[in-house]
Amino acid sequence: MAAASRPPERADVTDLAATGVQPVPAAAGIGLRAPHLVRVRDERPRIAWLETHSENLFAAGGPFCEALDFIRRDYPLSLHGVGLSLGSADALDIAHLRRLREVVGRYQPALVSEHLCWGAVGGMHSNDLLPLPFTEEALNLVVSRIGQVQDALQREIQVENISTYLRFRDGDYTEWDFVAEAVHRSGCGLLCDVNNIYVNSINHGFDPRTYLRALPHAAVEEIHLAGFTRKDNLPVPLLIDSHSRRVDEKVWDLYAEAIALFGPVPTLIEWDQDIPALEVLLDEAARADEVLDAHRALAA
Amino acid sequence: MPTAPSLLECQRRFMAALYAPDAAGPVAAIAGNGLEPAARLRIYRHSSEAIHAGALRTTYPAVLALVGEAFFEQCVRDYRRGRPSRAGNLQGFGQHFVEYLATLSETHTLPYLPDVARLEWLRQETALAADAEALSANALAHTSPVIEGIPQIALHPSVRLLASAHAVLTIWRYAMQPGDGRLQLPYTGENVVSWREAGEVAMAALDAASFACIEMLACGHTLENANAAARAADPAFDLAACLASFAVRGLLVAHPSGLRVTESRTCP
Repeated sequence: MAAASRPPERADVTDLAATGVQPVPAAAGIGLRAPHLVRVRDERPRIAWLETHSENLFAAGGPFCEALDFIRRDYPLSLHGVGLSLGSADALDIAHLRRLREVVGRYQPALVSEHLCWGAVGGMHSNDLLPLPFTEEALNLVVSRIGQVQDALQREIQVENISTYLRFRDGDYTEWDFVAEAVHRSGCGLLCDVNNIYVNSINHGFDPRTYLRALPHAAVEEIHLAGFTRKDNLPVPLLIDSHSRRVDEKVWDLYAEAIALFGPVPTLIEWDQDIPALEVLLDEAARADEVLDAHRALAA
Repeated sequence: MPTAPSLLECQRRFMAALYAPDAAGPVAAIAGNGLEPAARLRIYRHSSEAIHAGALRTTYPAVLALVGEAFFEQCVRDYRRGRPSRAGNLQGFGQHFVEYLATLSETHTLPYLPDVARLEWLRQETALAADAEALSANALAHTSPVIEGIPQIALHPSVRLLASAHAVLTIWRYAMQPGDGRLQLPYTGENVVSWREAGEVAMAALDAASFACIEMLACGHTLENANAAARAADPAFDLAACLASFAVRGLLVAHPSGLRVTESRTCP
């Protein structure tokens, strides 16, 4: 299958500046959630950049949209989609894509990301991130869909590797080769979720360093870090990507290795359930910044 | 060896298993690796259920408080099975929850429950409605509401209305913050307006005449007709005073962009 048409040239820092869009720096940012909206808008805490779920901005208006209008003037912004379902075998939800295009047009984010997964079929949505088989059929599908989205948005997107709790029997690729091929063939950027790699390494039994090494390092444009929970009372070890606690020590170690391989990359602290005080997120972000600074000090 | 199902067939079976506990799902296509494929699929069903439950809990906190955790969770499972999510954006997922609740025989002992749910859905619509600058009472005082037959004011896009035979707002507030005392319910129903104020959803119960007036405006009637409907409810109704009270609350906007609000409602 022919590779999807490539998007326009990636906007570099100069282009972004010309359009008034603040680029996301290679520093730690946090996911902006409703409980912190008012404090961030009113207090302008020191955070290098912010990310929000694209779907939070799908409404016609309301407090989230209104606050974002102000917040985006002060912070570089990334929009992270959770509902587009790139890997749906039947069709992409065109109404969803159209709304995403409007939202991207209104907020002019520096980064726009989606997940390498599916979540809907036959008009029914799970509203969850579901696993794809690592087959040629699935790879061709997601490559074509990434191209469709990049064409519709007239810009490059980043795709994120997901956490999974099952594997399909059939497969032509390892997970890391599937991710690398999807990025390579579609010309999109990679949002490397280091926590998801660690979770999958436990759930499916592989060395997460093998995964990191196999990724196209130059295509990594963002990293996600989050906390997981452990599912007990099962005959096998199983981690759930719950986004409900601090980043695990093992994931911090893997993150340092990722930065050693990729160089400094914008890094997001995600926390979506049992959301703590803003200070806790800032504290986690500070730790990610320490890792980035340590790498720069070594490289200097 | 049997042929592996196509990706589409696999996803259809997977989705069916997320909504129906008795659907097998594409178990033959899943590698168990120490755990039954069905158990692995169950993790995903529980995850999707939890996501949908979270959306309904956020939209319907008073219904949750009134029926209790266990019954609400059962409702979530039942509701999502009959009304699967149809969008990647969860904001509309609870849209049919009111109809669902109204069909339940268990809730007949809580006759006000569907209206409490209706009110919570209208709050969701209010929260997500388009932004618009409210017309201040001072600006209204310097505006003629109608110039050459063309209305110069409209309802704010966030305004939603509910006429209830129950004291629905009193019950909602009690459910959200019970306090110490027993609830003293008014003997009459309540007519509620919800709107957005400083980024929050605000609500108030209106007297019959004011509600008749705003309901007519919401349905696109002229101020003259709205005034007539209000006077039918209360001969002493004062349109100018009523509009001023609406402006104080931020229910009005300038511009004759149309008085009809976007919700579908039965209009007088």
